Amino acid sequence: MPTIHRNPNVMWREEDDALAEAGDALARGEDAGEIGTAVLFSGGTMLSVNYLGMEIWKLCDNRTVDGIVAELLEQFEVEEDVLRTDVRAFLDELAVKGFIVYAE
Amino acid sequence: MRNDTIPQLQAPLTINWAINNSCNFACSHCYSREDTHEELPRDVLYACLEKVARAGVFSVNFGGGEPLLHPQLLEIAAFASGLGLRVSMNSNGWLLDGEKAVALKAAGFTKVGISIDSHIADVHDTFRGVAGSHARALAALGHLQSVGIATSISTVICRINSTTIDELVEMALRHGAGQLNFHNFKCSGLGLANKDDLDLTPDEWKEFYRHALVVKKSVKGLDVSLDDPIIALLGERDAGSLVKGSVCGKLSLNIKANGDMTPCGFIPIVIGNIVRDDLRQVWKDSAVLEKMRNKQPTGKCSGCSKYEDCLGGCTARALALTGDMNSPDPHCWGDDEPSR
Ligand code: SF4
Repeated sequence: MPTIHRNPNVMWREEDDALAEAGDALARGEDAGEIGTAVLFSGGTMLSVNYLGMEIWKLCDNRTVDGIVAELLEQFEVEEDVLRTDVRAFLDELAVKGFIVYAE
Repeated sequence: MRNDTIPQLQAPLTINWAINNSCNFACSHCYSREDTHEELPRDVLYACLEKVARAGVFSVNFGGGEPLLHPQLLEIAAFASGLGLRVSMNSNGWLLDGEKAVALKAAGFTKVGISIDSHIADVHDTFRGVAGSHARALAALGHLQSVGIATSISTVICRINSTTIDELVEMALRHGAGQLNFHNFKCSGLGLANKDDLDLTPDEWKEFYRHALVVKKSVKGLDVSLDDPIIALLGERDAGSLVKGSVCGKLSLNIKANGDMTPCGFIPIVIGNIVRDDLRQVWKDSAVLEKMRNKQPTGKCSGCSKYEDCLGGCTARALALTGDMNSPDPHCWGDDEPSR
């Protein structure tokens, strides 16, 4: 199974206020999916990602999809199959944009 | 996991930094010729760059004036890239020979934009007031590419070049530029003084953008960039952009040679100074930025179906020509009936 690596040319940062807002929403048991908590930027393309997207991004450090899903399952209460599908879709989008690479 | 819009950012992503105002050229559309010639001493500039990096800014694009005339440009750029900032520059290319390209690469420059106003050497040279400048600008592109620095060509669209899109694209392809930036004409500084000679009519802008968008979609191996929000009127938005309307004050900020911060290089309203002020605080609290981020439609914008994407077009241009940021962009060719 290929491992996933962040493109070192991508610049990224978390947004403190948005992160706090998402943290509050999650603590209240609300959905924080609409809150962009971080920005990724490379070659004129910018992406805004939510809390879960950022956690995935941080895990793109030589892990496999299974490895990422396993890590996330420890942090989030979600159905494994749903999570796996979402993670794959997000990673594929990052790969198309050149933000990550898959390596065998 | 990905959002289509971004919240208010805590700091700009990019700073356009005019580190000097000296120039060896005399361009008719220059926006900074009358700007301050006061420059920050190197150590003060270093402290400011540290501040900017700490605030979370990703990249710094040096401009001026002509940045290559700054005697300490290389040291300053190396210091900035050492802080993790991505460093780029806009230059007229005159001083950029093979040796300088090697030095720029060593200093950490990842991208350099060269200003070229026409595919015809004489037209460019006359416009810039320096014979031979076209040839040296093109040569600069080659020197940069040979050391692995990404290149772009910056062209301010005006009367001397607006009908030569195909020729400009052909020139960019022939000289290996990765990007061709068509900058909209801003009516600031000398651009305002020479507006009548240089600026296009709204209908001419429409024709220009129509053609430019066709070329942008069809050309291979060259990124044709159009930074003008009024292309929304042709049903287009710049791909990859997460903000509507102008990016100034939303993603980027301008810093002048004396440290004064302005929303963009074409809006002469000082909102703070990087030497004494906190960048994040100014970015968050500036009433001017707040106004730019929350524009209100006036005049024909009020009934325009494109307002949501266009947000009244280029704020700098509206302000320069009408005194009101909320006025419709003077380049807009949309009809005056507020009922579309
Ligand atoms: S009328 Fe206003 S919002 Fe509509 S396209 Fe023109 S400038 Fe933009």
